[in-house]
Amino acid sequence: MRAPEFFRGMRQVAVQELLVNLKSLRLIIMALVSALVIVGGAYGFSGLGSGGGFPGGLPPVVVWPHAAYNATGSHVAVVWVSDPFGGPQAGRTVDLEALGPNGTVPLAKIATDGNGFVRHDVGGTDVIAATVTVGSFQTGTTISFPPQPQNFTYDIIQGDLDRDGSDDEMAIHVVNVSGDVVPAQIAVNGTSVGSTDAHGYLQFDLPRGDSIVNVTVAGETQTFPATVRGGSGGPTFASGPDTVLIIIAALSGFIVSLFGVVLSFDAVSKERVQGTMDLLLSRPASRSGILLGKFLGAFAAVALPVTLVNLAGIGVIAAVSGKSPTGSFAAAFLGLSLLLIATYVLLQLSLSTIAKTSGTAILFGVLAWLLFNLLYPIITFVIGAALFANDPAGYFHFSLVSGLGSPTQVYFLLIGLAAPQSLAGSGGTAVDPILPEAAAVAWIVLLLLLALWTFHKRGPE
Amino acid sequence: MIEVEGLTKVYGGSHGARALDGVTFTVPEKSIFGFLGPNGAGKTTTIRILATVLQPTEGTIRIDGHDLGEDPLAVKENLGLMPDEVLFYPTLTGLQQLLYYASFYGIRRADARKRGKELLEQFGLGDEMAKKVKAYSHGMKKRLALAQCLLHDPHVLIMDEPANGLDPGGMRYFRDLIRWLNGQGKTIFLSSHMLYEVEQLCERVGIIDHGHIVAVDTIADLSARLTAGAPTVLRVSAAGVTDDGIRAVAAIPGVTNVERTPLGVDVTAKAGSDVSGEVSRALVMAGAALRELKAEQRSLEDLFLALTKGGGA
Repeated sequence: MRAPEFFRGMRQVAVQELLVNLKSLRLIIMALVSALVIVGGAYGFSGLGSGGGFPGGLPPVVVWPHAAYNATGSHVAVVWVSDPFGGPQAGRTVDLEALGPNGTVPLAKIATDGNGFVRHDVGGTDVIAATVTVGSFQTGTTISFPPQPQNFTYDIIQGDLDRDGSDDEMAIHVVNVSGDVVPAQIAVNGTSVGSTDAHGYLQFDLPRGDSIVNVTVAGETQTFPATVRGGSGGPTFASGPDTVLIIIAALSGFIVSLFGVVLSFDAVSKERVQGTMDLLLSRPASRSGILLGKFLGAFAAVALPVTLVNLAGIGVIAAVSGKSPTGSFAAAFLGLSLLLIATYVLLQLSLSTIAKTSGTAILFGVLAWLLFNLLYPIITFVIGAALFANDPAGYFHFSLVSGLGSPTQVYFLLIGLAAPQSLAGSGGTAVDPILPEAAAVAWIVLLLLLALWTFHKRGPE
Repeated sequence: MIEVEGLTKVYGGSHGARALDGVTFTVPEKSIFGFLGPNGAGKTTTIRILATVLQPTEGTIRIDGHDLGEDPLAVKENLGLMPDEVLFYPTLTGLQQLLYYASFYGIRRADARKRGKELLEQFGLGDEMAKKVKAYSHGMKKRLALAQCLLHDPHVLIMDEPANGLDPGGMRYFRDLIRWLNGQGKTIFLSSHMLYEVEQLCERVGIIDHGHIVAVDTIADLSARLTAGAPTVLRVSAAGVTDDGIRAVAAIPGVTNVERTPLGVDVTAKAGSDVSGEVSRALVMAGAALRELKAEQRSLEDLFLALTKGGGA
């Protein structure tokens, strides 16, 4: 079936535009630049880019000690070694020493098994020191054997595991009296937060203030208190995968918009310059179909590499931080990047239609990018500062509203809105979300109509 | 069949430049129509409007019964355009260009590939079809332009200077091809600077000047119309023309002037008078050896210059 008249020719032009763009040098260059900025930025801001250190307070390994007993009542030192997020660390050397009144006595150096465990019979020794060294990092713990064995033992760590500035994460590791993994149900203030995994590990969030944590194994429950103190627990704009993603999204706003400009600035004008416009317009295709095809082709050519680079950036953040950014935020970042691409490609289609030569088209493209990414923010900043010199709240609202006049600023506002609430201080969550959302839709609709109109009027001329 | 009525094109708003003003003509089905005019007369604007590239300010165009304003897509389906400047996507091969253009007509890809290859073979580009167009010569691009024009087997062909920039062999090739296409039943609208080419190919011509059609007719009728009322000139080729012979010719009733030429004499007579018999008799009687005597024909170039007030095509 033929496409309705309005869309006639859209598919053919879109496929052609996409194929030509995918083979173009400028796409390869821009994809590399985007990858460098977004993936490189993700790596650098996530911490490891600084040269192999472990910034931000998270240790590379955590040692979980347990006092276990064998059938004859002999003491068994059980040590589980994992990363802070419960990933077992196989092959780590655990240095076991006996602690007594006469000082320390080396007992054994044993590598963890495939599940990260070391189990070593220490006879009647009551206190054992267990130490693990990773490069220059060393962590240790002690294991005390009480006179009355417990049916199961647990060990906990509490801290800022998601690196959002708040020590509101807890991880627990549970084994039974024999030192084997058993399923344990964990509840915080009476509400279940999950069960330990196949390695005996569970990470969960704690509410602010005091809490009671229950650990239940085979119907037997042990209880301990936990506290999350203070406000947010630290500076909000500090670290964590979501924060890194905000920084990446801000950089991406400039790069992605430039990518859209570079790839589509001559989408229409090159047909005229090449002399292929008349042959194209004489085909059984409507002008709207041709323009929409140009849009879809250029959009897809930018969106494909940008989405791949964005996904790689998110992957690098997750790999380096050890924790993925919030799923909804990551999805919003991917979607908003596409929205930004669409906006700039549509803008360029109008400018490209008006431009008579490739030189003019490049000039228009660069000027439009500079206008929305540099000049407009500076001008509105100056005006805002002059109008609201002694009124910070007024200036804040002015900047939120004036930001709607630039597609890139709208993107930044929407990124701020999509960021998790814990990062509220860094974004624009104080603004009514309907404004930037409506502005984003309005930009797309207006630019689409403008592109259709200019191409209809000026396409062949 | 192409019917154009009252076609007007104004660039740059209602007070802008009027490139076409009330252009009206008809191209009969299966004919070759020559479209002539000096530079800037409105030829290319007319062609771009016919090819649906530009939209007219006023006027109606019907091609094979379809109104171009109301149903442009139906017109485009049966129209082949060969523009003056033949430029293609430089990074595509000849065959890829054809496949791209064929996709607009709903031709299945396998069929388009077969048809494209056939046309490229037919036009001598069989060995070049896999080369990128940027490596093509001007003549090769012209042939590729013709191939894209015929890809969907249109009824109507709009050709703007098809032989422009070709060597004599290439011009002849295109002339023969246009005749062949016309023989296949195509209606051909041919704009050309080459008056000789138009004279050779076209029965009817339209002449445009300053955006107005100044004549639409067959070349013979145009010639007759322009020569009506003008004196008849006989060009006589003869040896041994004596002064007596010249005096005898000058004495023939109706003859207004006799002039000696290197080949013989030129005899001018009053309009409508046929003095060729008396002139040949008088010269022979005076001892001249007559080789040829013919009435002067006005060439298309003469007609063109007369109608466009000397404007160069």
